[in-house]
Amino acid sequence: MKRKVAILAAVGILVLLAGMMLSVMLGAKELSIQQVFHGIFGFEGSLDDQLVRDVRLPRMLLSVLVGGMLAIGGALMQGILRNPIAEPSVLGVTQGATLAVAVSSVSSLAGGAYGNFVMALAGAAVSGGLILLFSMHRASNQNFSRILLAGTAMSMFFLSMASVLALVGNRSQELAFWVAGGFRTSSWPAVAVLSFTGAAAMLVSVLLAGKINLLAMGDEMALAVGILPEKVKRQTIMIVVPICAVCVAVAGNIGFVGLFVPHIVRKIVGNDYRALIPLSFVFGAAVMVFADIAARMLMAPYELPVGLFCAFIGVPVFLMLVRKEKN
Amino acid sequence: MSIEVKNLCAAYNERVILSDVNLKIPKGRITMLIGQNGCGKSTLLKTMARILPAKKGDIFLEGKNMAGMTKKAIARRLAVLPQSPVVPEGILVKELVGYGRFPYQKPLSGLGREDHKIINWAMEKTGVYELRERKVEELSGGQRQRVWLALALAQKTGVLLLDEPTTYLDMAHQLEILELLKKLNQEEEVTIVVVIHELNHAAKFGDHIVGLKNGEVLFEGTPEDVICRENLRNLYEIDAVLVNQREKGYPICMDYSLIGR
Amino acid sequence: MCRSKNKKIFLAACILLAAAVCLSLTMGSYQMTLEEIFATFFGKGNRLWEFTIYESRLPRIVLAVIVASALGISGCILQAVTRNPLAEPGVVGINAGAALMVVLWIAAGTKAYYSVLPVSSAMLMPAVAMFGSLLSLAVVCALSYKQGIGAIRFILCGIGVNAAINAVISFCQLSMSKGDFNQVLTWTNGSLWGSSWNYIVLTIPPVLVLGGVAVCRAKVLDVLALGDELASGVGLSVHRERAFFLVLATLLAACATAVAGNIAFLALLGPQLAKKLAGNQHKVILPLSAMIASILLVGADVIARTLFSPIEIPVGIVVSIVGVPYFIYLMLKGK
Repeated sequence: MKRKVAILAAVGILVLLAGMMLSVMLGAKELSIQQVFHGIFGFEGSLDDQLVRDVRLPRMLLSVLVGGMLAIGGALMQGILRNPIAEPSVLGVTQGATLAVAVSSVSSLAGGAYGNFVMALAGAAVSGGLILLFSMHRASNQNFSRILLAGTAMSMFFLSMASVLALVGNRSQELAFWVAGGFRTSSWPAVAVLSFTGAAAMLVSVLLAGKINLLAMGDEMALAVGILPEKVKRQTIMIVVPICAVCVAVAGNIGFVGLFVPHIVRKIVGNDYRALIPLSFVFGAAVMVFADIAARMLMAPYELPVGLFCAFIGVPVFLMLVRKEKN
Repeated sequence: MSIEVKNLCAAYNERVILSDVNLKIPKGRITMLIGQNGCGKSTLLKTMARILPAKKGDIFLEGKNMAGMTKKAIARRLAVLPQSPVVPEGILVKELVGYGRFPYQKPLSGLGREDHKIINWAMEKTGVYELRERKVEELSGGQRQRVWLALALAQKTGVLLLDEPTTYLDMAHQLEILELLKKLNQEEEVTIVVVIHELNHAAKFGDHIVGLKNGEVLFEGTPEDVICRENLRNLYEIDAVLVNQREKGYPICMDYSLIGR
Repeated sequence: MCRSKNKKIFLAACILLAAAVCLSLTMGSYQMTLEEIFATFFGKGNRLWEFTIYESRLPRIVLAVIVASALGISGCILQAVTRNPLAEPGVVGINAGAALMVVLWIAAGTKAYYSVLPVSSAMLMPAVAMFGSLLSLAVVCALSYKQGIGAIRFILCGIGVNAAINAVISFCQLSMSKGDFNQVLTWTNGSLWGSSWNYIVLTIPPVLVLGGVAVCRAKVLDVLALGDELASGVGLSVHRERAFFLVLATLLAACATAVAGNIAFLALLGPQLAKKLAGNQHKVILPLSAMIASILLVGADVIARTLFSPIEIPVGIVVSIVGVPYFIYLMLKGK
């Protein structure tokens, strides 16, 4: 088992590194490896150097961070809701953040460089809190199709609210790009916020992983071995919320990464969250880097929304998973 | 013969459960299906009720091949009570029992006077008439089980199939249900087939016992004939200590242990 | 005993609906009194009154009632067939399928936005939507088919297909001109802005027929509530009936979606409230959920038109804003 994890981790990191390199090199202007290294380590202010430092590098880092964090968020949700189909974007957490961002962009309620982050945090907190409330308040809500239906209904509501706001504020198409998800507006401050949140989330979730493992036996058994399930769930949601919030604020509404990445990793290493969470981060990051490359390159000079790629991989995995669901 | 099963094969999600089962259910008797978990008892019952389609083979209900009968025609001759039916939210006892008249109703008509008479009769027979205005979800397990029985009775069929009707009930309520079945069998001459786990219940209330193992019939016959050490050894892989009660006419399992312990 | 109670409920619903209709007739950018309205109905109105009522407000109200009835019945059927009180055509991809087709239609067909759609195109819209929703139903059924269509599997697959279609819709929207895009957005969020007698004439017959069929066969829905096995035991061809009612619900939802876009929550709330009031006999709650949905939609439309007048907000949003708190309550109530 240990060996499998090590091999998988090594493969993941190699793929990720390759993706990171390619992501910096490829684009409207293709750069060589030397140019990239020159831009990073020997910055002289040439156009290529600026391209590397101010555009490609932050974009690459953002896609790594967003992909990895979304994958962790999904894995955590699946852990506490005890279902492989749970995921922040399926359950409406992401869409709650999207709505909040739409509110702020139309009304300048929370301005400034970090306004979007603050608003997204508030939105994700409300929607994530609702899902947690739904699942804890009533036993029958443990029934997964109920939670999923509720999440879908809520997410549709959030999105349609957001689009109406955009319509009224004459910002509709900007919002559509947001909803579709992407990394067009990458900047270093965003990288800073994301890496800080990402590091914190990673740390806490690895600490929680052991408890989430026990939760898999059901609330009553978890209680029997001395874990307070409600507390673990609350703590977990408290990490998932900021994860979703910063990802939405930076990259918009990218769904399904948190669904298929942990699913595939789980197939290989099993349900041990201590391995699952870090590995999900690595593979989520790798997937996102390549998805972003594809989004830039496929129909250049136009950019495709990254979220679309993720949905294309994610929805089939989702359908495959639900077909297994017993009646 | 009430039901005759010929060369029946059945499968659940591609997994073959029953392979080539031949069985005759005697008319006007209580038949008990026993066997280990997963041996195919429930599948056999559901296939006989045509809830599950048969992969191969034929089932004859009172001499007629069920393959050629419509669902409603079957439901007028054979009633089935699954293991854990769903209680619709907020439904009253009399409404639930009334669903037993569904196979007799035309698409647009409601319940007629005759239907109401039968519904009341079914509720009286099962002792739930006093509960008729209560909500089913508020009833206790034993009461609820009798309501389900009343529903099946309201179908006015000659055959009644039940899948573990005594699970989740305490000893007294288990007996109550089985006594009720016995009474129905004697007074109304209903042919009854029950899937059951409790061996002593099967011996006490059954006229005919069928032991199933790995989707095949291991033995069948009267309790006296088939409930013996040898058969139980084969069926459950247990060592049983049996006492034969001459005056009551059925054997009782006094003690049991796993083989080789 | 129950009969008289149901009669009272229906009477109350009728009165409420009438009140909502009257309110809707009087309110608007041009206020009218009740006397003026009745005068107009009896042929004594002036041209302004007649235009306001016959050309603007009445078609809107009638359309709202048709759309709401179709959605209410459709939701009620879906909830019974899937045995899930939260099911509605919006979340299982039926509306999304219709929306996708209409989006493609608008993107491909019309160049002039904010103007009246050409009549042929407007007439074809319901047909296109119908086709789209049937297509998505077919996809959902095919994906959830595994020895028959399981109720839970159907819902879950529907949610997945819904997500997929929405992703495609948002992709299509990106490449549209801003005008087209706003038109699509208004439409997908549910609105009655394009109401005209043409649409009414087109949608009344199918909604009446389909709704009638549903009410006539309501007993089957009652029996389906018993669970697949017992329902089969009392002589119901469960899989066939489920397929039949799914198509019925889809067609009804498609009729509504075709003329009014995605009005979320209405198909959920109508049946929910109806069940709360009148129990679980589908013969009663099918028509009742149609009426309750109508009251809600007519009322919501008044708000949508007058709240930010002269700007009109999509009526679907108003319904959602009313609906979401109730929905949350529904998820939290009880134990």
